[in-house]
Amino acid sequence: MRLRTGFILVPLAFLLVFFYVPLVSIIKTGLWENGFTLKYISAVLQNDYHRHVILFTVEQAIASTLLTLAFGLPGAYIFAKYDFLGKRLTRAILTVPFVMPGIMVALGYILLFGRDGIITGLFGHDLGILYSWKGILLAHAFYNFPIVIRMVSSLWQRVNPHYEEAAMALGARGWRLFWRVTLPMISPAIFASAMLTFVFCFLSFSIPLIIGGYQYATIEVDIFTSIMTLLDFKTGSALAIIQITLSVVFMYLYLRSLDAYARREEQKVLRKPVPFTRRDWLSLKGLAIALYSFLVFVFIVSPLLAVLYDSLRFNGHWSLEWYRRVFSAEYNPMFGATTLDAIRNSLAFGFTTVVLSLLVALPIAYALHRWNFTGKRLFDVMVMLPLASSPITLGLGYVRVFHATPLYYTFWIVAVAHTIIAYPFVLRAVSTSLKKIRPNLFEAALSLGAREWKAFLKVELPLALGGVIVGAIFAFAISIAELGATYMLAKPEYTTMTVAIYKFLGARQFGSASALSVLLMVVSMAGFLAIEGVGEEVW
Amino acid sequence: MRVELRNVLKEWGDFRLEIDGLIVEDGEFLTLLGPSGCGKTTTLRIIAGFERPDRGEILFDGRPVNDLPPYERNIGIVFQDYALFPHMTVFKNVAFGLEMKGLPRGEIEKKVRWALEIVGLTGLENRYPEQLSGGQQQRVALARALVVEPKVLLLDEPLSNLDAKIRERLRGEIKRIQRTLGITMIYVTHDQEEAMAISDRIAVMNFGKVEQVGEPLELYYSPRTEFVARFLGLSNILKLEAENGRACLGELCFDVGRDGTVRVFFRPESVYITPGNTAEMIDYELLPGRIRIKLEIDGKSLIAERFLNELPFSVEEMPERVGVVVRDFSIL
Ligand SMILES: Nc1ncnc2c1ncn2[C@@H]1O[C@H](COP(=O)(O)OP(=O)(O)O)[C@@H](O)[C@H]1O
Ligand SMILES: [Mg+2]
Repeated sequence: MRLRTGFILVPLAFLLVFFYVPLVSIIKTGLWENGFTLKYISAVLQNDYHRHVILFTVEQAIASTLLTLAFGLPGAYIFAKYDFLGKRLTRAILTVPFVMPGIMVALGYILLFGRDGIITGLFGHDLGILYSWKGILLAHAFYNFPIVIRMVSSLWQRVNPHYEEAAMALGARGWRLFWRVTLPMISPAIFASAMLTFVFCFLSFSIPLIIGGYQYATIEVDIFTSIMTLLDFKTGSALAIIQITLSVVFMYLYLRSLDAYARREEQKVLRKPVPFTRRDWLSLKGLAIALYSFLVFVFIVSPLLAVLYDSLRFNGHWSLEWYRRVFSAEYNPMFGATTLDAIRNSLAFGFTTVVLSLLVALPIAYALHRWNFTGKRLFDVMVMLPLASSPITLGLGYVRVFHATPLYYTFWIVAVAHTIIAYPFVLRAVSTSLKKIRPNLFEAALSLGAREWKAFLKVELPLALGGVIVGAIFAFAISIAELGATYMLAKPEYTTMTVAIYKFLGARQFGSASALSVLLMVVSMAGFLAIEGVGEEVW
Repeated sequence: MRVELRNVLKEWGDFRLEIDGLIVEDGEFLTLLGPSGCGKTTTLRIIAGFERPDRGEILFDGRPVNDLPPYERNIGIVFQDYALFPHMTVFKNVAFGLEMKGLPRGEIEKKVRWALEIVGLTGLENRYPEQLSGGQQQRVALARALVVEPKVLLLDEPLSNLDAKIRERLRGEIKRIQRTLGITMIYVTHDQEEAMAISDRIAVMNFGKVEQVGEPLELYYSPRTEFVARFLGLSNILKLEAENGRACLGELCFDVGRDGTVRVFFRPESVYITPGNTAEMIDYELLPGRIRIKLEIDGKSLIAERFLNELPFSVEEMPERVGVVVRDFSIL
């Protein structure tokens, strides 16, 4: 038994050292000074600025979630009910935001809405979107409305049509039909996608950091500035404790709502969407759908196009000059490496994160899938907890715990941080795929003489391969998009593309930032195409 | 209410549903019977208004209702999967249609109580559907459809998700409720025994067409097509040449009243066994209290079914050849 269960100890030790120890260290920093104290927590809560930040973080998360639902729900309806030309393409485009680094989208918004921005130019005056809560909300909606569309439409399609028909036969129609029958059927999906959006927005970093400014900082940004600019670890830790406490609550609500969602998803009634004819396109409904699809397209593509456009403009004419500079092996004193180094580093961290995440996630997924033991629910929560922590908090913990060890300032500390951030997504993707496999396949393999681990490797894992691949791509995308923890932990020679872009932005060198962003976009796009190719549902 | 389908056509790819002149009389229990995929559900959905026919008319009491949406047709429908709203209690489910009509609270409660009493579910008002057995869920679905006093109740294989015992009990109750309320019911099933037990009349469907409509025994003993004959039960169909109004297979002769090729049809229970030499005994099978015997005359097979105590010999002493008499037959 010991040998058979022993392999789980390696990933658990990894989690213990690289997540729980730093976490405890933060808690100790914030709550301990010659004994337990609430001094720093209450100092933060009594400080006007920090109180404003905490309140704003929650408020913008709520507002972003509502805006996201407003964008997403019509799309969910259209996707669930209708089949139309370009549906596949639209669905594919919806995956794009998943893999786009926040810093790149922030850059796109600067190029669109900034003082010299494209949209500012179109309207002739500043719309006041940048450096305000409006820009943050818009960018958050950009990131999250595809989640709403995917989750809600997937459930909506599976709602047994007989419910609505039975209600109709009993005289229900229009809004009342929707309100009394349809909405309760799809509400688990609405709630789960809203909770996920909320958590993402609550922990958001790059977007408020760059397009929110000092006045519209989130807790995450506040921790970052407390540590990086003010070197105030006590306040940083107190903020981190407040953030973790809240996000654990939100994450718990999300996981609960996800359970309800998954239960409903199991209904396998698939209503065929109504095919659209040419006449339908000319009806009011068709026009509304066309308009919506167009807006979605513009919404998603415009920041990307803005970045691409800017990268190709040099001194007012078309040029590849910015790309030439990116690829010149010129040492850049701003971040202490060449831009080529940054590209190489990003890829190296990405691949290392994939390997490490799989090594951590697969044994845990196996244990959760195969074993029943007392305390399994607690175990489940403990291994998913990194999802509720944030990169900045993690970075803070690593600074506290590892600054005196040889690990500090190495390649590996960054790779490990990325792994802790990314592996919960791998675990979820793999677990979801494993759950879909019929248990009797495993039993059949055992009856044919396979050992348990062999049955898992030979029968179940191949069937869950889609989830493994999607998880791996996600790990890669998360790693190359990561900014906060990398910024805190990487010494100059390990500068990544996102860090370089951030520094270019700080120096207002938008051309270089754009060219590098386009390269980042190309790498992310590869991830996006791979996810589309595998075709596995992620959420 | 009287329901009539006139010249109705519905096409889906190469499936073609064509029904002309199907009439369900007021207060009648009509069953649509046929194999899976023959278009029963589609017919029901056209009557309910969930599908629009490509052409033709649906008449309720002589009035075309083609353009009426389902919520204005005053119908009740019961699905095979019940479709009970999972987020509502039994009471709320049954009250749903009454609330849609905007009835006052007190009246709703009275009517719900009445409906639950009819289906024998009093006392379960506050349960949720998932807390009920399949049979109970089916009763709630029935109560929910009945409580709004629809002019016609449509039931699509309402019992086929239940096990045999409950199925038999519930079909008796559905019949009783239909009689008591005098409501028009259109019932869909692929189970011929259920159809025979429950219906005033049966419409047998095949490949999108109604092959024959009639009372159960009429269909059973005088089917007009081979399909109807075979679908309703074990059949003997003999293709014979008739001369002088008589068609014979060996010594077994039928007065068919015409000449040429005829197909003679009779049920196994119309075949009587006597001591004699007409047919060769091939095989037999014992059923509860009965025996099913496979016979052969001049290379053609026959099936006979008798109660054991009707046989002129005991099972242990089956002779190799027996005499055969056919009492009722019809010509296809
Ligand atoms: N919405 C639909 N779209 C396309 N074909 C359908 C649809 N509904 C039913 N059909 C087809 O019509 C035929 C009859 O189906 P149905 O009425 O459900 O038969 P039954 O209820 O007798 O089993 C089947 O071949 C089925 O595939
Ligand atoms: Mg059917």
